[in-house]
Amino acid sequence: MRAVLTSVPSRAPRRRRGARARWFDWMTAPALIILAGVVGYPIAEAVIVSFSNYSLEMPVHNFVGGANYRQLYHDPLFWESLRNTVIFTGVSVAVAMLLGLVLALALERLTGPWRFIRGVLLTPWAVPVIVVAFLFEFMFTNPGGITNALLERTGIIGSPIPWLTQPGWAMVAVIIANVWTTAPFFLLIFTAALGGVPTEVTEAARIDRAGTWSMITQIKLPYLRSAALVGALLMIIQNFNSFPLIWAMTQGGPAYGTTTLVIYVYELAFTSFKLGYASAIGIVWLALLVIIASLFIRVLRSRPA
Amino acid sequence: MRLTVDKTAARRPTARAAGPGRRRRLPVGRCAVVVTVALFAVWTLWPLYWMLSTSLKSGQEATNLNPTLWPHTITGANFGELFSSSLPFWDYFINSVVTSVVAAVVAVFIATLAGYSFSRGGYRLGGASSVAVLATQMLPLVVLIGPLYLLLLKAHLLNTYLGLIIGYTTFAIPFGAWMMKGFFDGIPREIEESARVDGYSRLGILFRVVVPLSVPGLVTTAVFVFMNTWNNLLYPLTLISTNARQTLPPGLLQSFSGTFKTDWGGMMAASLITSLPLIVAFFLVQRSMVRGLTAGALAGT
Repeated sequence: MRAVLTSVPSRAPRRRRGARARWFDWMTAPALIILAGVVGYPIAEAVIVSFSNYSLEMPVHNFVGGANYRQLYHDPLFWESLRNTVIFTGVSVAVAMLLGLVLALALERLTGPWRFIRGVLLTPWAVPVIVVAFLFEFMFTNPGGITNALLERTGIIGSPIPWLTQPGWAMVAVIIANVWTTAPFFLLIFTAALGGVPTEVTEAARIDRAGTWSMITQIKLPYLRSAALVGALLMIIQNFNSFPLIWAMTQGGPAYGTTTLVIYVYELAFTSFKLGYASAIGIVWLALLVIIASLFIRVLRSRPA
Repeated sequence: MRLTVDKTAARRPTARAAGPGRRRRLPVGRCAVVVTVALFAVWTLWPLYWMLSTSLKSGQEATNLNPTLWPHTITGANFGELFSSSLPFWDYFINSVVTSVVAAVVAVFIATLAGYSFSRGGYRLGGASSVAVLATQMLPLVVLIGPLYLLLLKAHLLNTYLGLIIGYTTFAIPFGAWMMKGFFDGIPREIEESARVDGYSRLGILFRVVVPLSVPGLVTTAVFVFMNTWNNLLYPLTLISTNARQTLPPGLLQSFSGTFKTDWGGMMAASLITSLPLIVAFFLVQRSMVRGLTAGALAGT
């Protein structure tokens, strides 16, 4: 073996691979074994449990067929939490992405010592989610919150906004908090993607006297397409699963106004102990995420980047 | 598709923009940039300022229904109270540090092996197993937690550090493996070839040649895992049942939702201390972070 390697070092690995293409690499074994235990087994168990009336109080598998799935279809709270999840995720991702994009384009033009600003603007992303929840809960609290106080002092609003105490406004409040922490992620992603726009392309456009606006829309945005798609997909998955922010700020209230699927499943499993029904919702939700992810990947592959 | 942060390339056009050819259009554009950045700076910094300012206020001033914009009397009482009162803040802090650091070290070690293997491939199940690992990141943790809870209950690992760390591996290992794969993809194979000629084993090549070259990647991955576990609320909330073992997020939630509900000053002081380790870690790895994040994600599509 070593003799072969020394004679043609650069081609040796390819030949070796072709000669005895192994099935498995032991280096992945620790990761795969652990994941089989802590992810594979629970997810298989969740699928099985979703067809039973299993509960944490009475952990017995009582097969009930598709009863949990039928119940889910007729459960108004399931539909409401699905709607809330879609609103929370959709609005948060769209707004955060837009802010991140505008900011990345603006910061690209900052030069010299001013570039430290980018680091400062990324800070919210490093703030623990629980802290973000506390902070915005405090700022939106009524009476005594600074947001209402400032809005009233400047005369923008006449009477205090019932942030956190009225379902619609509570959703707005959690979305604002969420955008505050996730916009920096898009700033990072877009900054990286802007760095990948070939200089020759921007130079050529400049020679052709392209204006700032057409430079952005015609030249730069197309290069940001895959970064935008990948970033959006990652953030959609993360927001679908986002638990601490909403749980700490509103606990899903008031009146289920901010109850997303995570909150609903958590309450079903650990407050009502209905693990079977909670798992059924989890499986439907997972199916939704898989559909979204495959759509994204299809769009991403449709045009070579 | 691979994104690389080429700072020089990104800067060059900007530098040219200031040249004589474009001076006519410059002031308007420059103003727009300055205004945009200033607005974002206020939006970003205001909540942070408010946290700091409230944490320095006296209890009475912090709960004033007509909030003062800056602390009229600056006091460290809120911070002192965190470590002296009945609140087991210090326990929470230590528990968070221990579980997050151990989870980060363990996950990075396992993820290094797996990520290297995924990066170099060369075996039939390589593609399938790496995609399977990537896909686990999509699974809702809240769905896994029920069965995982029962599993740890049977193993008598509920309410232990080990049980919590095992819980953390569910997201730390897949995430770490893909991030490390991204970093390893950037290390040329030629370097390994010469080590192979020198008679190193595969493990030897990985730990004596490849790993020393990817220290920034290792640190970044570890910091990311640390940040994610530090942030995690769901696992400690369900897997830990006593205050003495609880981590910061559920601990704080519990502390400041009961009798301390309106102790905003204390809450902000606790928030500030909870944030500091993450902000410091974040700034340490900021430069290599973008690459790690995007390389793994984009390579997988």
